[in-house]
Amino acid sequence: MSAHGSIPVLRIGSTLLASIQVELRDTIADAFQEDILQTIAETGATGLVIDITGLEMVDSYVARVLTNTGRMATLMGTHAVVVGMRPVVAATLVRMGFRMEGVLTALNVDAGLALVSELIARRHGAGQ
Amino acid sequence: MPLQYYMEKLYLDEAEVESRRHFFEITADDLTRLAGLHSFAEKHTDDIVEDLYRLILGHPEAKKQFTEHATLVRVKQAQRDYFLGLFSGRCDLAYVQDRLRIGIAHERVGVPPKWYLGAYARYLRSIFDRIAVELPDAAQARAAYQSIEKLVAFDTALAMDTYIAAQLGALERHQAAIRELSTPIIRLYQQVLLLPLIGTIDTHRADQLMEAVLLKVVEEQAHVIIIDIAGVPLVDTKVADHLLKTTEAVRLLGAQTILSGISPIIAKTIVNLGMNISAMHTKSRLAEALELAFEIIGKRVTSIAKNHPAAAAEATEKS
Amino acid sequence: MTILSSENLILASEDDVMLARRKVRLLAETLGFDPFTVAAITTATSELCRNVCVHAVKGTARLEQIGSGGRTGIRLEVRDEGPGIADIDRVLSAGQRSVGSLGLGLSGSRRLADEFRIETIVGRGTVVTVVKWKRPA
Repeated sequence: MSAHGSIPVLRIGSTLLASIQVELRDTIADAFQEDILQTIAETGATGLVIDITGLEMVDSYVARVLTNTGRMATLMGTHAVVVGMRPVVAATLVRMGFRMEGVLTALNVDAGLALVSELIARRHGAGQ
Repeated sequence: MPLQYYMEKLYLDEAEVESRRHFFEITADDLTRLAGLHSFAEKHTDDIVEDLYRLILGHPEAKKQFTEHATLVRVKQAQRDYFLGLFSGRCDLAYVQDRLRIGIAHERVGVPPKWYLGAYARYLRSIFDRIAVELPDAAQARAAYQSIEKLVAFDTALAMDTYIAAQLGALERHQAAIRELSTPIIRLYQQVLLLPLIGTIDTHRADQLMEAVLLKVVEEQAHVIIIDIAGVPLVDTKVADHLLKTTEAVRLLGAQTILSGISPIIAKTIVNLGMNISAMHTKSRLAEALELAFEIIGKRVTSIAKNHPAAAAEATEKS
Repeated sequence: MTILSSENLILASEDDVMLARRKVRLLAETLGFDPFTVAAITTATSELCRNVCVHAVKGTARLEQIGSGGRTGIRLEVRDEGPGIADIDRVLSAGQRSVGSLGLGLSGSRRLADEFRIETIVGRGTVVTVVKWKRPA
């Protein structure tokens, strides 16, 4: 387990689980992205679950950082899933016109981990 | 409904009160004149209120309205206060609030406009008779009477507004209740929700719906929500747009939306409008949507095997 | 319309943006705004205040509780002496694909607010005002 800045990152098998509990300021969000990508590179993680249950507010900057982190992780071969978005956050993002494209979502950590497992299994099943 | 409700509904703030004073042509002179007549009012208030009650008691229907309530004495006192209030020399927000309270009391008791409007007219006649005696100078008397008339007109407007606001309030509550009843979000199965939409969807309702859907999805941790629009008579760009927004928001939460009840007309509308709904699952029939929902959560509906007790009983019955 | 309370804030750092967000959230919650409306105004605040710090280095914000005809609302005016915005129409209609966060932050705030006003002069600065009303019961 490692704690980068104020966002703890757990390793569950070859999946990383990051739970964002604090109100995000831009610099922390940026540092988070750096750390995650670095950790993926170091550990070769095949899954990434970002839990944002603790976020009361996600503005366009944070939304972009989260989306980009997911997409960058995917490029590195890691299945990334954002979980636990709150109703008020989802409503605000769509009302702003922000589209979180290229990132998978799931209801909660369990669902996120299950999705990651399924995707890994499928990839293996496809003869990779 | 409390005072605050009416203040909001009627947009009553200092600016609005000033605007009304202006239109009813109530000047500082009028108010000063009225304040100067306060002792005249006190002298005659009992008689004038009695005039009103003679009118009411002499009218069979009106009499029924007022004497059925044991509050007659209290109402008389309220009338006295009302009458004297005309000569307070004020016509500000506080004055308006006092008047509103009287209107609210009438509304609560269920007094229809015809009675209290008739009462205002009765006051004016009573005052007219007595003003001429109090102020022998015709010009003075006329000026005084006009000031009173202006303020009574002002009060009448408030009374009407209160009455209408109360009716509209009741209507709004009924509409809200209907909306509640017509958009229940049902838990069909574990992790599967159903929202059968009925009736027209305007922007306001669509906004509320999206919020209700999102809250329910998280509360139930539902993986799928089926939104059935067979009961929506009109689907235009706006409605389709709202549905798209809702679908996207549900996706952000980590769940999926299936839109069902797509009739040929709706299908035509959506395609002709050039709307891109490729992100949504869509089905024409609710039954198909349900099958898809089960598939999404990894379940399947199968036939009961032939040697199941229920099947056996049925087979026995048939033979 | 009446102004029931007013507070001035400096916007020069990330901390200031965080503080502004917190103050707006607190005010909205205190006034009894529903959670979706709280989120809308707080997010708009974040967008606008960040824009100031990122694009204009510094500026100020005025947070007011306002009332009009029995309604309660929050008004936020964000002001800077930055470079101003050259092509305001293009920026306001900016979608996500536009370069930089300015466009999305502004258009996003506009969509989230009930009332939105912007005055900008290239080389002089920008003033953005947003209003969010409490939903009627």
